[in-house]
Amino acid sequence: MFNRSTLAIAVRALRRNRLQTSLTIVGMTIGVAAVLAMIAIGTGAEAAIEDQIRAAGMNLIVVTAGNYKVKATDDFGGGAVEPSAALRHDSHSEVAQDSSVAQGSSVVQGLSVAQGFSPAFTTLKGRATAVIDFVLPTLHAHPEDDPMEKHDHPTARQRLGDSEAGLGSAATLTSADADAIRGIRGVQYVAEGLHQNVHVKAGDRRWFTRLHGADVRLPLIRRAWTFRGGRFFNAGEQSRAEQVMVLGSVAAQRVFGDENPVGRDVAIWNQSFRVVGVVTTTSWMVAPAPGDDQFDAVYIPFSTVHRLLNLAKLNDITITAASTGEVSRIMGDVTKLLRSRHQIGDDKPDDFTVTTQARQALAKGGMRPDVARAVVGNVAGLEKVTLEQLGKTLDRATRTMTALLAGIAAVSLLVGGIGIMNIMLLSVTERTREIGIRRAVGARARDVRAQFVAEAVALSVTGGVIGVVAGLVAAQGLSRYLQWSTTISASAVVLSVGVAAAVGIFFGWYPAKQAAGLDPIQSLRYE
Amino acid sequence: MTTEAALIAVHDVTKTYAMEGAPVHALRGVSIDIHAGEFVAVVGPSGSGKSTFMHILGCLDRPTSGRYLLDGKDVSHLSDDELSAIRNRRIGFVFQGFNLLARTSALENVELPLLYAHEHRVSPAARRQRAMSALTAVGLENRAEHHPNQLSGGQQQRVAIARALLNDPAILLADEPTGNLDSRTSIEVMDIFQRLKEERGITIVLITHEPQVAEYGSRIIRFKDGRVVADHPNASRRAAAEELAAVAAGSPEET
Repeated sequence: MFNRSTLAIAVRALRRNRLQTSLTIVGMTIGVAAVLAMIAIGTGAEAAIEDQIRAAGMNLIVVTAGNYKVKATDDFGGGAVEPSAALRHDSHSEVAQDSSVAQGSSVVQGLSVAQGFSPAFTTLKGRATAVIDFVLPTLHAHPEDDPMEKHDHPTARQRLGDSEAGLGSAATLTSADADAIRGIRGVQYVAEGLHQNVHVKAGDRRWFTRLHGADVRLPLIRRAWTFRGGRFFNAGEQSRAEQVMVLGSVAAQRVFGDENPVGRDVAIWNQSFRVVGVVTTTSWMVAPAPGDDQFDAVYIPFSTVHRLLNLAKLNDITITAASTGEVSRIMGDVTKLLRSRHQIGDDKPDDFTVTTQARQALAKGGMRPDVARAVVGNVAGLEKVTLEQLGKTLDRATRTMTALLAGIAAVSLLVGGIGIMNIMLLSVTERTREIGIRRAVGARARDVRAQFVAEAVALSVTGGVIGVVAGLVAAQGLSRYLQWSTTISASAVVLSVGVAAAVGIFFGWYPAKQAAGLDPIQSLRYE
Repeated sequence: MTTEAALIAVHDVTKTYAMEGAPVHALRGVSIDIHAGEFVAVVGPSGSGKSTFMHILGCLDRPTSGRYLLDGKDVSHLSDDELSAIRNRRIGFVFQGFNLLARTSALENVELPLLYAHEHRVSPAARRQRAMSALTAVGLENRAEHHPNQLSGGQQQRVAIARALLNDPAILLADEPTGNLDSRTSIEVMDIFQRLKEERGITIVLITHEPQVAEYGSRIIRFKDGRVVADHPNASRRAAAEELAAVAAGSPEET
């Protein structure tokens, strides 16, 4: 129906009446801009709520090494271990002890040196690694490899400094597992985790706190985090296993008081670490307090923990789902993946535990006790309810709001459309003679109709495109000056322009039909 | 003078308008053959049906009854699209009021028929070029970008003629083309018509109520009350070119 000459004719005709044309376009512009801005606000609110859910850890999945549900039964008896496994375990223990001697001495050596590395330490450590490298090929296993075993051999206690070594201290998860999980569809971020309790020392001040061997992606997962000073450690520091540290705000306060810790040195395990940042939270639900897991804590690269403590395993892997609705599916995928990676037969239990972190994030994430009690205490099976239903309920609510806003804005689009219809009807009357002339030189009725529809569409699409720009600017302004969160997706833009074109066709059709139906002779005579 | 050989063969055509009250009989049985290359002047008082006759010839209107063969083909009952195509390719119109698009350059006005030449599309460049040569043919090549309100009446009518001739039509229909022109420019327009007939063999049907304008035609048909009352070759044909030469000689200061 449209071809280039139709459009050219239409544009020419519109240019002849600039004032009318531009006023009509303004009407359309306002309509489209309003719709786009409203959609931006609506989806922005949706995203903000989704963000809050994520900040609260609703999309969090944690894979912990070991499986306490299985192990719990034989915690006291220990009879569940098969003889062959027990035999194998014995040989493990021997080697473990063997290597731990070397390692233990290296730690002792390290302790005896006042500060930092000594050449002796590195040499010894190198020797320890060499011992393991030597032993490993014959055993085909790392001493930490027993999937069901908590670290109750002496070295584990020594190393982890945790007499309660339980869930998470089994050595089954590796960085390779984490990398494999990164490949699962719908997974947003994956972070390796190693957890210890340590004494942090700076000058004469000491503080006993949590140490997290973390991945650079952790700040992406802890969405409510903000850096009061400095930054998180970067990928380069992590890959080089550098001795850099990020302090939680509570730990920073305890160790440094009101001084700025960034750039200062602190010691753990008698090793010197440079502080690169101090982290705190923006979430109103969370108040950093002594004893919490996130801010009364220090963070160093997990690779540094691996290097200094000669570990190869992880305590846990933290995963975020890109969408809260996919948490269950991803949990299943992670389980399947790890079972196949760990070569666990169908009749054997998992050697890891996958949990959603909803309850834990709410309870342990430093949430105000009253809020936590209200949220956690009143809902049975919180994980399921929160993730599946709370997320969906919020989604529905925001979608309704978006629809409402867009509906209101659509009224202005309608007004814009009626404006186009008005101007086109006027134009048909004004240009009756022109229509007659065109008909006389051979324009078919449908050529005339196409021209008028094309004019209406040209008006509405031009208005639509300008409206998109205006809408973008408006949304930007709302974000900047009113702090409203707005989101403009490409589909919203395409939709707006599409609706504008549809309005043009719809409201241009009737006037165009009128124009096409005019009698050529009458219109030629029209004054 | 057989029906088959005629370019335009109108046979017993009537046209009745159903107006409120009594129906108006604009044509009451008209039969005329017009051959290729004729310059026919149709005269008659207003309301005699000559304009209705022209509209039917120009495929702007359909007869109520009777047959109209254009080039041997019955066009009295063609669809609107088919009639539009015939208007586009076979017929050129020139009107009393020039009927140019306002606020549109002379060149774009002349291009207009090519925009609707659906059978053989023309590129914008070729369109411009053909429009330009048509304007050159009527001596307005240096007015191409002028809008109608920047042109004199004679110039506007020449733009209209250039537009009418753009698709090389067989027939040029002129409805009171000199009605809004002074005598001098009227003669100029008649000169163009006569040259078109002589040089390009275009068939011209000129509707006028001025007997002295009708004198330029090679044949004069007189209408009255929807009927043909006279149809005869014009023995005393005026030659516009000679008159122009005479005027130019008589008053050289006029250009």
